[in-house]
Amino acid sequence: MAGAPNVCLALSNQPENVLLVRETLSGMADTVGVDGVDLNDIRTAVTEACNNVVLHAYEGDEGPLQVELYLAPATVEVVVRDHGVGIRPHIRSEEEEALGIGLSIIQALAPRVEFKDVEGGGTEVRMEFSTPGTDSVPEVPANGFQAPVVPPSALSSTTGLAVAPSALAERVLPRVMCVLAARARFTTDRISDAELLADALVSRGFESSAHEHMTVSVEVGRREVALRLGPLGDGGAGRLIADSDAGIGQVVARLTDERRIDSDGRYETLELTMRDAR
Amino acid sequence: MTATEMGLSRPRRATRFVPGTGEEEQLFARHQQGDRVAREELVRRFMPLARSLARRYDRSSEPFEDLLQVASLGLLKALDRFDPALGHPFASFAVPTILGEMRRHFRDAGWSVHVPRGSQERALKVRDAQERLANVRGRAPTVQELAEYLELPQDEIIDALQAIQAYESLSLDAPRPGATDEATSYGDAMGQEDERYELVELDATVSAVLGRIPQRERQILRMRFVDDLTQTEIAERVGISQMQVSRLLRRSLDQLRALTDTKS
Repeated sequence: MAGAPNVCLALSNQPENVLLVRETLSGMADTVGVDGVDLNDIRTAVTEACNNVVLHAYEGDEGPLQVELYLAPATVEVVVRDHGVGIRPHIRSEEEEALGIGLSIIQALAPRVEFKDVEGGGTEVRMEFSTPGTDSVPEVPANGFQAPVVPPSALSSTTGLAVAPSALAERVLPRVMCVLAARARFTTDRISDAELLADALVSRGFESSAHEHMTVSVEVGRREVALRLGPLGDGGAGRLIADSDAGIGQVVARLTDERRIDSDGRYETLELTMRDAR
Repeated sequence: MTATEMGLSRPRRATRFVPGTGEEEQLFARHQQGDRVAREELVRRFMPLARSLARRYDRSSEPFEDLLQVASLGLLKALDRFDPALGHPFASFAVPTILGEMRRHFRDAGWSVHVPRGSQERALKVRDAQERLANVRGRAPTVQELAEYLELPQDEIIDALQAIQAYESLSLDAPRPGATDEATSYGDAMGQEDERYELVELDATVSAVLGRIPQRERQILRMRFVDDLTQTEIAERVGISQMQVSRLLRRSLDQLRALTDTKS
């Protein structure tokens, strides 16, 4: 499928990130109205592909797990990629059977599956699902798309996400924030605040974004979540936190503990920190 | 490149099903001639496969026993339809057959249109536990605390939190657990005080559109964003659950956005 992905997730291959992928798929299903049985299939097949990266791609070490979602009329394509040693060389006899079942499941649930070697090492699993009767989302132009990049040293605590269009971001970003706030051991009170913050940012974030996608990276600490939104256009960050036309600035101010704008001269980044003081 | 070309979809067991070799090959041959003992032995041997597939759907909020039953039925169908003469491994035939059976089950159980009942019940359980723990501790619980209290995996708690957001059945008129007296429903507990609130602290545009949002939502918005109360504090004052406060706040913000969008 051509064009930029509608969702691009940059994760580490920690097991808890599989939930993040599953929640992202649910958000996608909410947006376009994927039938519950079809969603179940998609979630199950993609979980198998992700678990494969979690368990086998890096031979016990940590490494990147990239997931991309492409929405087309009546079709959802999901790509799961790792930069590990590839599936084949490290199949061990006792693992082989489990892996075989995983791949049989993917092949049974996705009408089209493709396995590719990734340049420089790694494996890409491309799964295409048919989702009849779903709504379509406006096409996202591919120009200027940059996949979110998380440096290897930050990978274990940081999640990168790029998402477009806004209709999809509305359903995906709050779910992602819920998972990450829960991981930071927030109370349900602050988890709900994190979702509210996501709502507020999505409602105005696209106007401020430098590209077609809304790009965020979220770092999870102990009872602390730091969200970086950007690249944003000139003055874009200020528009989100000052009193703006929709009062979003006030909402953002109440929900966050720290707000900071960084600029590299060309683009801005808005950094918002939420804590749960209890 | 396909999985098979990469040598991926060939589990170790495969070699045991090459015609003419292996014990299971003989079992399949006997089974085809109607030998019930051979069939039982095959079921016993492949039950772990059915169990493993059922477990993969375990988080789908159906009781595991039900899923296992459906998967076992799929296994029986696969055993009866499998033709060893074609030379394919049994697993590669059984997996899609079993998954097909489970898919049919989900379809029949109303998964296409509704949020399944199991998932609704779980969401209510999480909401009730959330209130109970908040009362005990004087603050909202974490997902980890909810998971421990309900003896459920954290993933399921998060699924439930999302489901609560989506439910109309948990809406304003639903009785609040533990509510004792007259002010049990949201509508009753709200209202009288509202007129005393002024909206001047919110910026001008918001104040203008706020007038078009129901007063109870307006009051909650104000408590959170002007008075800076936590959602739990608002829940206590208003007599609803924190999750309901969250839902109402999110809905109000959404309405606000829609209103300002049409304005601009």
